[in-house]
Amino acid sequence: MLKRDLNRRSFMRASAGAAAASVLGVGGPARAQSDEPVRIGMIYAKQGPGASIGEYLQRGSALAVEQAGGKVLGRPIELVWLDEPNPQVSQQNMQRLVDESKVVAVVGGNYSSSALAMMSVANREKVPLILTGAAASEITGKSCSKYTFRTQATVPVQMAGLMPYVSSIGKKVYFITASYAFGQDILRASRAMLKQVDATEVGVDEVPINTADYSSYILKIRQAKPDVIVGGLVGGDFSNFLKQWNEMGMKDKIPYAAVAVTDTDFWDVGPQASTGIYIKPWYYNNPKNTAAEQKLIEDFKRKYNQPPSDKTWSGWIGMRALLESIEAAKSTEAAQLVAHLEQWKNTEGEFPFFFRDWDHQLVRPAVIVQIKKQITDKFDYFDVLKNTSATAEETAKAFGTKEDIGCSMPSL
Amino acid sequence: MLDTLVSQAANGLVLGFIYVLIAVGLSITFGLLGVINFAHGAFFALGAYVAWQLFQLFGWSAVILAPPVVGLVGMAVEVTIIRRLYGKEPLLSLIVTFALALLIEAVIRYAWGADGKPFNPPPAFAGIVEVGPLLITKYRVAVLGATTATLLGLWGFLAFTPYGRILRAGSRDPEMVELLGINLPRVLTAVFGLGCMLAAIAGVLAAPLWTVSPSMAANAVMPAFVIVAIGGLGSFRGAVVAGLAVGIVTSLTIQFWPEAAAASMYALMFAIMLLRPRGLFGERWERFE
Repeated sequence: MLKRDLNRRSFMRASAGAAAASVLGVGGPARAQSDEPVRIGMIYAKQGPGASIGEYLQRGSALAVEQAGGKVLGRPIELVWLDEPNPQVSQQNMQRLVDESKVVAVVGGNYSSSALAMMSVANREKVPLILTGAAASEITGKSCSKYTFRTQATVPVQMAGLMPYVSSIGKKVYFITASYAFGQDILRASRAMLKQVDATEVGVDEVPINTADYSSYILKIRQAKPDVIVGGLVGGDFSNFLKQWNEMGMKDKIPYAAVAVTDTDFWDVGPQASTGIYIKPWYYNNPKNTAAEQKLIEDFKRKYNQPPSDKTWSGWIGMRALLESIEAAKSTEAAQLVAHLEQWKNTEGEFPFFFRDWDHQLVRPAVIVQIKKQITDKFDYFDVLKNTSATAEETAKAFGTKEDIGCSMPSL
Repeated sequence: MLDTLVSQAANGLVLGFIYVLIAVGLSITFGLLGVINFAHGAFFALGAYVAWQLFQLFGWSAVILAPPVVGLVGMAVEVTIIRRLYGKEPLLSLIVTFALALLIEAVIRYAWGADGKPFNPPPAFAGIVEVGPLLITKYRVAVLGATTATLLGLWGFLAFTPYGRILRAGSRDPEMVELLGINLPRVLTAVFGLGCMLAAIAGVLAAPLWTVSPSMAANAVMPAFVIVAIGGLGSFRGAVVAGLAVGIVTSLTIQFWPEAAAASMYALMFAIMLLRPRGLFGERWERFE
């Protein structure tokens, strides 16, 4: 009886205590800490010409979260995905992620112009931003920021890998580039290298974005009689160009070389119109892919019934770097995250790759690929020629010195 | 140099003719329905996708069915959505048709995926034609032929058939047409379908030249609006002349001043608007005054 009374009494006491605790919030934080999701923002295009690229980037980031068991620091991860239609809206969406969703960090930004706009919010709000595209030099150069990290190699690094190939094809070069930061960067970097590779410029066209018809440009190229074209067109514009280049019978007449292309550019136009030599961050059918990358390919194929594009890899590695840095920091606090992203290193390949601590650029070789002579697979368009650099020292050298880059980053 | 100029002008004509088809549909829809259809470009993209699907299923000959299919979709959209906009604030039709454009793009993405679809010219039209100084591809010659035939057919329909007369009368005085015992709502449905069908023909012809993707209309809609403004709202003749002018001016600007290529059609519109605010062949329309 006594025992039962005691039990009843202790039960009543415990219940009252629990009720009081729940009202007063005593004992809550520990539970809230483990249950409350860690919100991570993503800014990838959902509509317009970049929607396809945005989808592959998002799938890569989401897969990284899935491979981490959907948790970080033992807490569930909640991904909030907003659109990247243009610089203005991307910037507003970055602000919304910070103000409304209270994200701990943002992964995304495929276009240099949007990335630069998003960086201003990341800086002001002190939220880490990992850019998964955006190749313009100034992002980790003169506009570099303590809160911004970038996975894609800069334009000069990619051009340094491409130009020796261009020169081996022919000495008379014609440029056709997009008329914004990315295209202008290509022109600057290539022109700086022309003398070095013993080539000359025979023509240049800076093409407005969203150009539908390239026939007039192609006629000009034909008239200039170059040995090789160096291109800097992006997304739908590049696909339109390739299609019309083939339609006007130029595909096998003048070789085409470019940087910062993605697999979908070619999947969109099909084997008949695909041609050229390119620099890409990654290719799924590369014998040098690491075990983790093989796992990414298998998981992606299982889920979507097709291989991943290089954009999937970019979204995946950006998210992985963030999650691993959160785990290492044992915190989601911004300053801690930045410090641990600066120390983050991937050691799965032949030599490590990492974000350089003084400009936050991922220092990692890209791959040089060439369209296959005979494309028999719906997705496998390329032969991998080689990496842009073969050793850690060569890679570090290719990414330039502090003086070359011009980033002067203030402390946190 | 002459050969390049001639070839540039010819290629400009092809581009202009594709724009004309889009612009004429837009112009007819506005003329009779009084609705500025921001979703017109979405029907252009839908035409390309339906053509791609028919090609996959039944081969090249089935592609010809794509425009009527899109025309039927347009008629269904008119009955369910557009009809409610007649006589309302112009701003409302802008907002609703803009939303409709986003909806159709999303439906395309849902049905066919966000990736583009490989679609090349038919083998019969592969290759180049070189006649004297002129260089043009066989497919572009075929596009010129198809657009010219479509525009002539449309002109004949509007000018010489009783249905064409009803359309022209309805665009100026719909009340009077209805008082004469003509079922105007049915006419309006048919006109919207016709406009969508013209956009779809342009989409089918552009599909082997441009990337077939859900947002492919983004490159075509703005030139179409510029052409309608230059030619004069509701003017068939104006749309044709303005479309060809925009195509040729754009091509020649690329040749001589490529940096200004995107701005050239706007400069042309600016000049025409200053000289003739109603557009080249625009007339005073009582119902829109």
